[in-house]
Amino acid sequence: MEKLLKKLLNAPWVIVAVIIIISALFFMQMKQNSRMETDLDKYMPQDHPAFVYSDKAEEWFGINDGIIVAIENQKGIFNSATLDTLKQLTKRLQKMDEIEKTDVTSLYTADNIIGTEDGMDVKAFYKRVPESVEKLNDLKRNVENNEMIFGRLVSLDKTVTVIIAEIRDDVFTQEFYEEILSLAASYETEDIKIHVAGRPIVEGTMALLGPADMKKMVPIVLLVITLVLFITLRSIKSTLLTMTVVFFSVVWTFGLMATVNIPIYAVSTMIPVMLIAIGVADGIHLYSHLQLFLRKTPDASKKEATLDMLQHMWKPVVMTSITTAVGFISLLTSQVYPIKYFGIFTAFGVLMAMIFSLVLIPAGIMIFGLPKVKKSKSNETNKETNLAYGFAAKVLKRKSVSIFATTAIIILSIVGMQKIWINSSFLDKFEKDSEIALTDKFINDHFGGTTTLNLILDSEGEKDIFKNPDVLKLVEKMQNKVENDLQVVGNSFTLTDYVNRMNKVMNADKVEFNTIPDSRDMIAQYLLLYEMSGDPENLNKVVDYDYAKLNVTFQLKSDNSKAINSAIAKIDPYKDDFEKHGITLNFAGSGYKGLVFTDLILEGQIMSLILSLIIVIVLLSLMFKNYKLGLIGAVPITITALISFGIMGFLNIPLNTTTALLSSIAIGIGIDYAVHFIEQYRINASKSDDKLSVAQKTMAHSGRAISFNAIVVIAGFMVLIFSVFPPNRELGALVSLNMFTSFVGTVTIMLVLTYNSNVYFKKKNNNASNN
Amino acid sequence: MKTLLIKSVLIAIVFAIGFSSEVFSQSLTGKQIVEKAYNRSTGDDQTSDLTMTLINKNGAQRVRKIKQFTKDLGEVEKSIMFFLSPADVKNTSFMSWSYDSDQSDDQWIYLPALKKIKRISSDSKNDYFMGSDFTYDDLGDRKLEDDTHKLLREETIDGKACYVVESVSKDKDYMYSKTITWIIKDNFIGNKKEFYDEDEELLKVLTIKKYEEISGFWIITNSEMKNVQKNHKTTIVLNNVQINTGISASKFTERIMMRGL
Repeated sequence: MEKLLKKLLNAPWVIVAVIIIISALFFMQMKQNSRMETDLDKYMPQDHPAFVYSDKAEEWFGINDGIIVAIENQKGIFNSATLDTLKQLTKRLQKMDEIEKTDVTSLYTADNIIGTEDGMDVKAFYKRVPESVEKLNDLKRNVENNEMIFGRLVSLDKTVTVIIAEIRDDVFTQEFYEEILSLAASYETEDIKIHVAGRPIVEGTMALLGPADMKKMVPIVLLVITLVLFITLRSIKSTLLTMTVVFFSVVWTFGLMATVNIPIYAVSTMIPVMLIAIGVADGIHLYSHLQLFLRKTPDASKKEATLDMLQHMWKPVVMTSITTAVGFISLLTSQVYPIKYFGIFTAFGVLMAMIFSLVLIPAGIMIFGLPKVKKSKSNETNKETNLAYGFAAKVLKRKSVSIFATTAIIILSIVGMQKIWINSSFLDKFEKDSEIALTDKFINDHFGGTTTLNLILDSEGEKDIFKNPDVLKLVEKMQNKVENDLQVVGNSFTLTDYVNRMNKVMNADKVEFNTIPDSRDMIAQYLLLYEMSGDPENLNKVVDYDYAKLNVTFQLKSDNSKAINSAIAKIDPYKDDFEKHGITLNFAGSGYKGLVFTDLILEGQIMSLILSLIIVIVLLSLMFKNYKLGLIGAVPITITALISFGIMGFLNIPLNTTTALLSSIAIGIGIDYAVHFIEQYRINASKSDDKLSVAQKTMAHSGRAISFNAIVVIAGFMVLIFSVFPPNRELGALVSLNMFTSFVGTVTIMLVLTYNSNVYFKKKNNNASNN
Repeated sequence: MKTLLIKSVLIAIVFAIGFSSEVFSQSLTGKQIVEKAYNRSTGDDQTSDLTMTLINKNGAQRVRKIKQFTKDLGEVEKSIMFFLSPADVKNTSFMSWSYDSDQSDDQWIYLPALKKIKRISSDSKNDYFMGSDFTYDDLGDRKLEDDTHKLLREETIDGKACYVVESVSKDKDYMYSKTITWIIKDNFIGNKKEFYDEDEELLKVLTIKKYEEISGFWIITNSEMKNVQKNHKTTIVLNNVQINTGISASKFTERIMMRGL
């Protein structure tokens, strides 16, 4: 390896040319083949039983998420202008390419089935917009008397009415959203306000906003990192070469992704983040070593200096990169493909960064010359060295401080971790005062809720069970219980609502008949009548052809995991009652899938965390040929992960797909610090028997480089705290925190443990005695 | 819900024939062809056992057996239907009077579990017949003057020489932008019909699978309507068809509806 690297030094131009050509090829691939995947369904493992069932249920009942367009008029909606707006908007939505005509529901499209003394009347609420006061009042009365409409399509205070347009998961685009927004805006007047909400909007916007925000922020992050890198390395050449390494590794990674035709998922946008944080480390350590060498031997030629750098540093650079890559490869245990890809490609990027660091940086030095080291700075060198020596001495003098503090922090973190909760919510990722969150709240205040949870009651093929009055009464009882007990559940909807309505209609609209009849034949005949007189498609959304499966839709006012879980917990006690009828309870819909999905990610994340920890310990043990050092090396990353989770618990930051992945970075970066430090410690220990001096020298060498590394990356990621997208803010804050704890952990507790373990000294003593 | 009438037979669907013997030496216009199909005689009254099968995209079926009686009384056509199965809707009955004038249909339903007759009124034009893929218009309520007809070509399908006529709705808001019908030259029975939705995309295809000569009239006894967009289809099969048996006009009353068969 060393020989090869040395040989390559003789042909720096060739190296640069080869790398640039390959980069250009990858760049072209990126430009041609890269595509974003925004359909969240594509993220989910298709063969997981919960998804398989949910997908089937979505197919059976045509369960789709709906875009909600709310028309608000503070003076009430029962006037010609508002009703005309409702009609026009309904028609415009029906004509949009992305929306099936029959999937648009509003007061304009709905049937009003009403009972009269001698019969039944099926009518549209209106076709021509009513003008006269009398007709407007008729319409108002019809709405008020129809419990399938009032509170569902028209708010109870009669100031808001909604249009629901169901769309398939994969049609949402930024253009489509903007088209709907501008369509809505074009109908606004002084009195009429129009709001657009619904899960497709939230999901779609999130899938677009996160990466878009990243796109904006990453250049600033890069700029800040470059700047701070320049301040610490004090050389434009070194800074630019280090950043070039990062840049090329990102290009190669995304180029490869495009070449093998794997789309960019939302999590993939974290790859540059990881590569920036990890990629600069190699460069910093190489240059830091070079600087120290040049300070000692200012007259060395560039070749001598580069050779010394490679000779001393190639090993730790390779070791850190391999451990980091392995840490990411452990993500392959995840059941979620985007996370698997994230792991593989980040690992690839890390290895590329390693190669570029070992090849490109030396080549750069050969071509552009050594970075200038100002000789007058010897003063500063001393100051730096004194600081490092002093720090190391202090740490080792007061070992108990480190040990006590670490123990306290671990305990506190474990306490904090108890409070951690998982959140699959998309809405919670938006600012509380953002347009999307406000609209959602507005609609939740006026209607049942923007989030749906589908309960599928399945008799496993027992036909006509949902014509059985006992079963329907049980369903209704459960609906009432869940609606009444939980504030967050606005309403629910299923076959019972149709049967109640028909019973009332056929009994001259008397309220006391708004119940499930006792006779099974009666129910069957009502349903037949509804099929013949109403829109049979409506029934298909709540019950299957054989009346063997039922879809109960609960509307929730929040999409966070607590809300969905509370509804599931309320439904669960009915399990036994339904089981007596041979009916099982299952859940479906995007909210539920999101919940399961988040659990899966976390499960995988925890698995891969543990796995990577074990692998890292084994790798370190092999590299340093000592299991104790393997364990000690794992200490900073363990602390980092614990603190990260502990603080999330205390600050009430929920675990979600972004924050959970951060533990990977903790391992990826934390391990670098530990490896560099221990390797340097080993080299120093081989030259000296003075334990304190070894520690001090290590601190002045590796400790220095690690602190540079930490400062650079922390500064860079603090930029994300100014992001407009809350998840990216959390990402910035947590990466910075992780860098900081890894750094502190390495130079304190890990130093203490390494020092106490006596590993390298014992060996030497043994060797000495053997001799 | 429009007329509950499955007009005599699915005459309906049907574009009846004038007289099959009639042979024109000069070519007919699209309108004339459709007129002959619409005016094809299927008798004054008809009794039959109707089996309607709804098949959804998953292949699940709903089968309904109905006994139906229809009678053309000149200005008004009356029909009555009794459900035979499924068991839980047995004896549910429907009566419909549909008028040649612009007066809207009168409809009644009798639910045996409720033991009451209810009048049903509906203002919806495009309603599907009993939750099937046939609308009332498809079943014969469509008037000749509602569309502009054009003879596209003549071609032979399933071994039958046909006129291919395109009918474009004059009402721009009608649920079909146009239909294309293959009308058999010999007897003016529509053999196949394509329905195009508002966006001019194919929505449904009607296929006549069997027609029989009964008591001197051509009666379609097996037809299938397939909604190609929803992948849903309906078949209607007629058995025991009897024509001109002299059903009494007093058959079509609320009393008979309640009494059942």
